Amino acid sequence: MASLVKNLLLSACACALGAVSLPAQEEQKERATLSGSIQADILVPQEDKTIGAQKYNEWALANTYADLRLQSKYVDAGGRFEWNQFPLPGYEADFKGWGLGNFYTRAHWKNGTVTLGDFYEQFGSGFILRTYEERSLGIDNSLRGLHFAWNPFKGIALKVLSGRQRRYWEHNEAWVSGGDVELSLDEWIPSMSAHGRYLTIGGSYVNKYEEDEEIFVDATHRLNLPTLVHSFDVRARYQSGGWNLLAEYARKGQDPNFDNGYIYRPGYVAMLSGSYSQRGLSILLQAKRSDNMSFRSRRAMLGTSSMINHLPAFTLDHTYALAALYPYATNANGEWAYQAEFGYNFKRKTALGGKYGTTIKVNFSHVHAPAVEQKLLNGYMKGSDGYTSPFWSWGDEVYYQDLNVQFDKKLTADWKLNLMYMYQRYNKTAVEGEGGMINSHIIIGEAKWRISNKLTLRGEAQYLFTKDDEGDWAFGLLELSLNPHWMFTVSDMYNVGTTHNHYYQVGATYTVGAHRLQGAYGRTRAGFNCTGGVCRWIPATRGFTLSYNFNF
Amino acid sequence: MISTIRRQLAKVTTPSLQGRVRGGSVCVLFLCLLISCTGISEEERYIYMPPVQSAHAVLIEDFTGQRCINCPNAALEIEKLKEQYGADTIIAVGIHSGPLAVFSRGNVLGLRTEEGDEYYEHWKIEQEPMGYINRRGSLATPDQWGTLVREAIQVPTDLKFTLAPVKDSLDNKLHVHMIIVNGDPIKGRLQLWLTESKITALQMMPDGTANQSYVHNHVFRRSINGTWGEDYTAAEGEIRDLDFECELDETWNPENLAVVAFIESANGVEQVAESAIIIQ
Repeated sequence: MASLVKNLLLSACACALGAVSLPAQEEQKERATLSGSIQADILVPQEDKTIGAQKYNEWALANTYADLRLQSKYVDAGGRFEWNQFPLPGYEADFKGWGLGNFYTRAHWKNGTVTLGDFYEQFGSGFILRTYEERSLGIDNSLRGLHFAWNPFKGIALKVLSGRQRRYWEHNEAWVSGGDVELSLDEWIPSMSAHGRYLTIGGSYVNKYEEDEEIFVDATHRLNLPTLVHSFDVRARYQSGGWNLLAEYARKGQDPNFDNGYIYRPGYVAMLSGSYSQRGLSILLQAKRSDNMSFRSRRAMLGTSSMINHLPAFTLDHTYALAALYPYATNANGEWAYQAEFGYNFKRKTALGGKYGTTIKVNFSHVHAPAVEQKLLNGYMKGSDGYTSPFWSWGDEVYYQDLNVQFDKKLTADWKLNLMYMYQRYNKTAVEGEGGMINSHIIIGEAKWRISNKLTLRGEAQYLFTKDDEGDWAFGLLELSLNPHWMFTVSDMYNVGTTHNHYYQVGATYTVGAHRLQGAYGRTRAGFNCTGGVCRWIPATRGFTLSYNFNF
Repeated sequence: MISTIRRQLAKVTTPSLQGRVRGGSVCVLFLCLLISCTGISEEERYIYMPPVQSAHAVLIEDFTGQRCINCPNAALEIEKLKEQYGADTIIAVGIHSGPLAVFSRGNVLGLRTEEGDEYYEHWKIEQEPMGYINRRGSLATPDQWGTLVREAIQVPTDLKFTLAPVKDSLDNKLHVHMIIVNGDPIKGRLQLWLTESKITALQMMPDGTANQSYVHNHVFRRSINGTWGEDYTAAEGEIRDLDFECELDETWNPENLAVVAFIESANGVEQVAESAIIIQ
């Protein structure tokens, strides 16, 4: 059945390509465009017992993607070829493979589109549906099926979809279906838009149909599993002047699964986000309460695959190496998360702004466990409601806390300085399973010197102070840019506290037109790579890396 | 504010559009009610399944680690299965392996072994706790073990094992005498392992605390006939009489040692047996 559906979809794609290419060659040449991209990341690994880099059977490991998109006035088609037969280290075992991982054909007209094949979608903030591709994490949870988007009237956007979710080189059996409606009230009320006020309200519904399976509680009882899991999301966004307010609430019905220990407690997430910005000033305040919101298209799945929804982390995604050493991963079982950010730009030619102005940014995030009281059924967790946890309950455990202050200053026409201080509390046990609380202070200095129009030198110095885990770390980097083609980088991350290991990297990047080639040699520390609260464990490696990107 | 919006909407929208908006609101309310009110009540959550006849002992390879906070829950699941099906039917081996396991170092008693790591790598374990039930199908989390054990014990087998592991009190050598009575012809591999129970050592617990007095049971210590065992081929009805020998580490307590023997074919584990060591 699955192969029949795949063949039908491939045939539809082929027909669409044919249908589009003919008029493209004859009448509508100017309307058909072909675009695409190639990305290849290669590692030639070497064993290094000092840092725990293991030996591989293959002399080279690579992740390669080639995208092709054909767009015309009414019909689009595209696909992605992936070659991950010998993947880079740290991806889940089923990531290995190669083939046509994604293909679609899409018809579109003035106010609607219909997509047949693989598609990505997000309803609201993604609390009940977010399908996306994130190659650094090995995530592609696209749906294969039918997607319909329509704007029937001014200010109304409708979406309806149904499909089966991709899990590496197969598609899960469960069907994921749903719809979303978004009303832009300001488009109906001229007085609102005339005064710069915008109000959007939205509602979504998603269900998962997954066949029954036998999950035993004891030798003679199995769970009566719900085959249909419902979820909904309601939200409102109001914008006026520099103010922006978003309130969103999502709820999921009974969904016993591996993540929650097969309990029948419904899940929910509530979020309030407010921001204010005007010239030179920005303020952001956010709060989120989630409870039992892991939503997968396969109830027995663990790891990073098969997620239907996405719970964003209310923590800053740091880019500096030591600030990102202990990144936080969202706890889908439940958390209280807060984030506040204040940014101010001291104007030029003031006491604090100096000749070129000064920017200061303060960010605070705190993620906390809610209080829970266990509630079993006949002495079993499986089949019970699991626990009780009032909305405002506050547990004893801190999952993560981060207070950072960033200071950006242009000193002269050629010199720029960034300074950062960060205090971090990272509950390694809650995120990684062991290790306790890691309290650290991090100081970072970055300087950029424009030597000439073609030559720029950038340097980073970072130090992390902690008595926990592996103790202190130091990091240094120098980067020389020779515009417009070359960039050379040398860096070292050194564990001062325990192992005294150096994680050095030496690399060069060459860019010409749409081509970018990067080569490097060095060591990479074992650790988590996180994006948006989703993390992947990367083992330690040493060796040559080569990356090639091409867009056309 | 809401009444203003309502008035403005009435001005700018057609009656049919207003009707659709009202219809949409009703739909959203209906969905909210559907999700909030529907569900399986506590009385309906368990489905009775008649007990099954045990035709087969089951091997649970429990990949575990002393730094793995969820692994004590897997050990509890094994104890529960032993209670339900009997200790002779459920034969567990805790293979401490991978990054969450600990090698012995200084005063720390670690239970990780290089052979365990080899199994961990071979089976491509990505997370612990994780288990193999009779090496059938794929790796499974402890939540699935109950289901897989119930399936596995119903698979008929005509293989019979008799194990007699003996340790001479004068030396540190273990002698294992094994008799295999074959039914159908079989081609596979025979594997013998040594396990130890009642080891008191560190274990990280689900609440994140370190329990220094945790008692570890059925811990994999070493293989007796090679990490991957040996080829085993037998004709129909053949009776095989086999002897094995291995060195015991002085730090192991012979009174808590046991031998686990199993034959694996392309269909998974065909039969498994366990016997405590007899000290003479």
